[in-house]
Amino acid sequence: MESGEEFGPWLGRQLRRRNMTQAELAAEVKVTRAAVSAWITGRAQPRPETVRQIAEALSTDLGTVYARTTDAVPAHAVQWYHRPAHSDGGREFGNAAAFAFEADLRVLAREATQNSLDERHDPTQPVRVRYTLHELTGEHRRAFLQAMQWESLKSHYAAAAASDQKVGRALVEGLRELEDSETLLLLRVDDYNANGLTGPEYDDGRFAAVVRRQLDSHKVDNRRAGGSYGLGKATLWATSRLGLVLINSTLSVPHEGRTERRLIGRLDLPWREVDGEAYAGPAWLGEPDAARGYEGVSRSWWGIQEETTALHLERESDDPGTSFLVVAVHDAAAVAAGDDGLHAMHEKLVDSLADDFWAAMTDTASVPPLLKASVRTLRNGTELIPETPVSPDQRKPALARALRAYLAGETVDVLGVRTDVALRTVTLNVPPLRAEGKAVGNTAHEAVLLVTPADDQDRTHSEIVCMRGNRMKITTQRPRDLGFGVEPFQAVLLAGFATARDGEDVSRAEAFLRASEPPEHNRWEWTEELSVAYARGAKRRLDEFRASTADALRAVVGNRAVPSAGIATELLRERLRFTQSPVAGRQGTRRSRGYPVVDDVDGEVDSTGAWVLRVRVAVPPSEDAWRLSPVPRLGGGRTGAGAAVRWADLTVTENCSFDGDVLVIAPGVRYAAFTGITDPDTHPVDTGMANIGVDVHKAEEGAKRA
Amino acid sequence: MNRTIYPYPVLRGRTDVEVTRVRLDGVELEFAGIGISQRTVALAVAGRDEWQEAAIEIRAELPETEIADGPWSELVCVAVLEEAATNVRTVHRLTKDRGSGTWQGTVRMARSRHHSRAGLRVQVVATVGGIPGRRIGGSESDWVLDLHAKAPQREQESPAVVEVDFRDGPHSWLRPMKDAPWFVDTAGGDMPVVYLNQAVEGLTTLLSGKGGPAAKATAALAGAKIESDVWEAMFHAAVGDVEADEEGRPRMPTGWRESVLQTMLPDVLPGLSPSDAIVEFSARREEGYGWAELQSRVQYAAALRAQLPKQLANAMRATVRPEGEDR
Repeated sequence: MESGEEFGPWLGRQLRRRNMTQAELAAEVKVTRAAVSAWITGRAQPRPETVRQIAEALSTDLGTVYARTTDAVPAHAVQWYHRPAHSDGGREFGNAAAFAFEADLRVLAREATQNSLDERHDPTQPVRVRYTLHELTGEHRRAFLQAMQWESLKSHYAAAAASDQKVGRALVEGLRELEDSETLLLLRVDDYNANGLTGPEYDDGRFAAVVRRQLDSHKVDNRRAGGSYGLGKATLWATSRLGLVLINSTLSVPHEGRTERRLIGRLDLPWREVDGEAYAGPAWLGEPDAARGYEGVSRSWWGIQEETTALHLERESDDPGTSFLVVAVHDAAAVAAGDDGLHAMHEKLVDSLADDFWAAMTDTASVPPLLKASVRTLRNGTELIPETPVSPDQRKPALARALRAYLAGETVDVLGVRTDVALRTVTLNVPPLRAEGKAVGNTAHEAVLLVTPADDQDRTHSEIVCMRGNRMKITTQRPRDLGFGVEPFQAVLLAGFATARDGEDVSRAEAFLRASEPPEHNRWEWTEELSVAYARGAKRRLDEFRASTADALRAVVGNRAVPSAGIATELLRERLRFTQSPVAGRQGTRRSRGYPVVDDVDGEVDSTGAWVLRVRVAVPPSEDAWRLSPVPRLGGGRTGAGAAVRWADLTVTENCSFDGDVLVIAPGVRYAAFTGITDPDTHPVDTGMANIGVDVHKAEEGAKRA
Repeated sequence: MNRTIYPYPVLRGRTDVEVTRVRLDGVELEFAGIGISQRTVALAVAGRDEWQEAAIEIRAELPETEIADGPWSELVCVAVLEEAATNVRTVHRLTKDRGSGTWQGTVRMARSRHHSRAGLRVQVVATVGGIPGRRIGGSESDWVLDLHAKAPQREQESPAVVEVDFRDGPHSWLRPMKDAPWFVDTAGGDMPVVYLNQAVEGLTTLLSGKGGPAAKATAALAGAKIESDVWEAMFHAAVGDVEADEEGRPRMPTGWRESVLQTMLPDVLPGLSPSDAIVEFSARREEGYGWAELQSRVQYAAALRAQLPKQLANAMRATVRPEGEDR
């Protein structure tokens, strides 16, 4: 008997599914109840002839019992179970956690990916996250809706949408869109090398934390991650227009002896009344439970490939992890993009992942990243936008470079080259826990500050990105007093486990900093938790940490050459500042010129070697006529004005006349244009060898064409 | 000459140049000395003045796609290091890096051949229409290599202001002027220096403008007066340094002198371009006609530049009480 799953758990499940007790089976196959119990707990195996009797008792064939890859009887049909209304008559109009987040793909990507990162299974390998946008139309859309039993949900949606609450109005919009547009957009979030939704159906565990409960952050590995699947999972439901998410998980630890295709669907609706029955809110898609106390409740079921394919939930490998399918995904920004919505959403996901997880995605030749992420877009099962791997260098090249240099041990003390990364250590003194008493002193944790010059494309720079844990960005710091004219820089502060070290000081620093974060995890500050858990002076330790970080940064990038002068001197210096650059370039563009200039020259060399130039002259308004000498100059440039040559011919194009070689522009005219042909005999060099430009001067009296 | 055209095809795309690393006699210069946004290198950043040679590593980015499709061959990219003060010009050929597609090289700058600020740019030269060595492009703005700067500041942004005691301070040559509240020194090649006399009691307090609106307005007025003096002194110093070129035409000076002339000449001689104005100015100085009138124009332009009329009006508004309010 060695195939499929273990015999014991398999048999136990078959009995539960058939609502059959151990005693009933014992009676049918003529053994004691204790023998059946021994089979189920794995202490004994039935003899072959008994197996035949068991197959009969379960009304199945022998092959099924030996193979144990499927359940003995067709499972109770998978169906939606709607939680009945509270017996106290209480009504809830929506998932409070979902209201905490906006329906925004950026938020979804951040929360879901952070969860995956916190649930990394094999710590030597990256967790792989893939986002798939999938647009369904026509037959594909119909088949999917049928697979998820849309018909049976319609009356519930209609009742829920009829409510005048906020969530009801959002549903009306979502339903109308589904009816009108004839398309359905799915977003699938897959992770691989993650723990998967392990644990029992209703009791504590990852599965129940995600599927059964709200706000349960299932804190298992309290040392590193701040608890995964907390508030953040609500974003999955919040981005679904229908409040509907389907889940397929491959478990890292077997449950009921199985790991693959644990399926469940969850729907979050407000309180509603359908056919005279009142319902509390959530509903689950699954097998009706037969266990006592849970009769009729839909529980997760072990699916087969046909089911996962029909529900677009098939995973690409048996690597543990979870696939969430957000049905009718919605993003306001993408709606604004109109027909380009899919491309806009695809880009937004790529950008969001690159923005928020560049640190976790950074690797070196020898250090793997913590995370790999990609985004792809499908339409009716065929690729619309190819899978786009997200690169840490895409959005934050300088920051990724800084982190990479640190991981590879290639940092320097003093910045020399533009790509150099300077490292400074910053000490965080972690105060002892109150529980530890007075005997324990501060623990010094060496946090790491990395500084590198910013790249030209960096839109945000000159701030310190502060991280801990799985290189999770907590906050940014903008130190002052860096001095005038500091070059743009990028800086990262790594504390706790983000330093990629381990040890007593590291875990203490990690716990201390986490305790100093508000629920949004976006600041290090005084919190209730900090004052309860830690000895006096915790807030001061945080302030010192911030100050010494700023000092360390200043030591690297600060301008020390600025002397302090008296106020009078400073004021005067400020006033005497030149407005125009005195360097050699000479490209001062002066907007309001008080004198005539040549503002456009165009032309070509003709067959005789003469330049034919079309020249436009701009003049300021004047009450008198302008009399100007246009002078063509060959070979001018930055070092000299070039050699003046003579005109062979001058022709008026617009707004002017010629008096000999003198250009006459009438009063009130702003622009004049003429065409001039140079006299090649006066060219000091071959025409083809030098550039040409035209100057205008005030005409000297008596300068007329000879 | 601000519009120039060529008789052969030239590059339309941008050519960018960047200093990536600097070593002084083999010792790496702190990156803080390389101001990327300012396009300036402060060679005195480490306070070291005894070096002989600076090795400046540069990288240039050319419009490669345009070059690949264009009519140019035997393309060469060179770095040009020049300084007008010492009339030095060093040309160094860059090589194309296969990996990044950029042009790279190390320009060596000998300390002894430079005075204060050198300009660095790249030129792109190629064979066009069978004629080799034609300039087809180059970087638009120079990098400035400043031998004396301790921080990379592109602009020598303002004259220095120094507070000293004229009577017994460190500058003995200021003693004859001990009664002057301030003194503007424009001699020498460097930036002008404004000396404020600490011996004049209360001057710095007055200029700091601490106190009510009247004190502020007075400070601004005094500041404007100093400023106007500075501009006037700088203008005369700049005009006095104008030299003639090969054709005998006066040539625009460089550095702060150019800034001063470009800013003030349109007010001194309205309607003339700065280069025409220099010609006119030089002619009047030599021939003497209209010279006295020109002096008044210079003073007027300096006062305008210093916003003296506006500050005077402000001071009057702040100090003179409107009629009928004192009762």
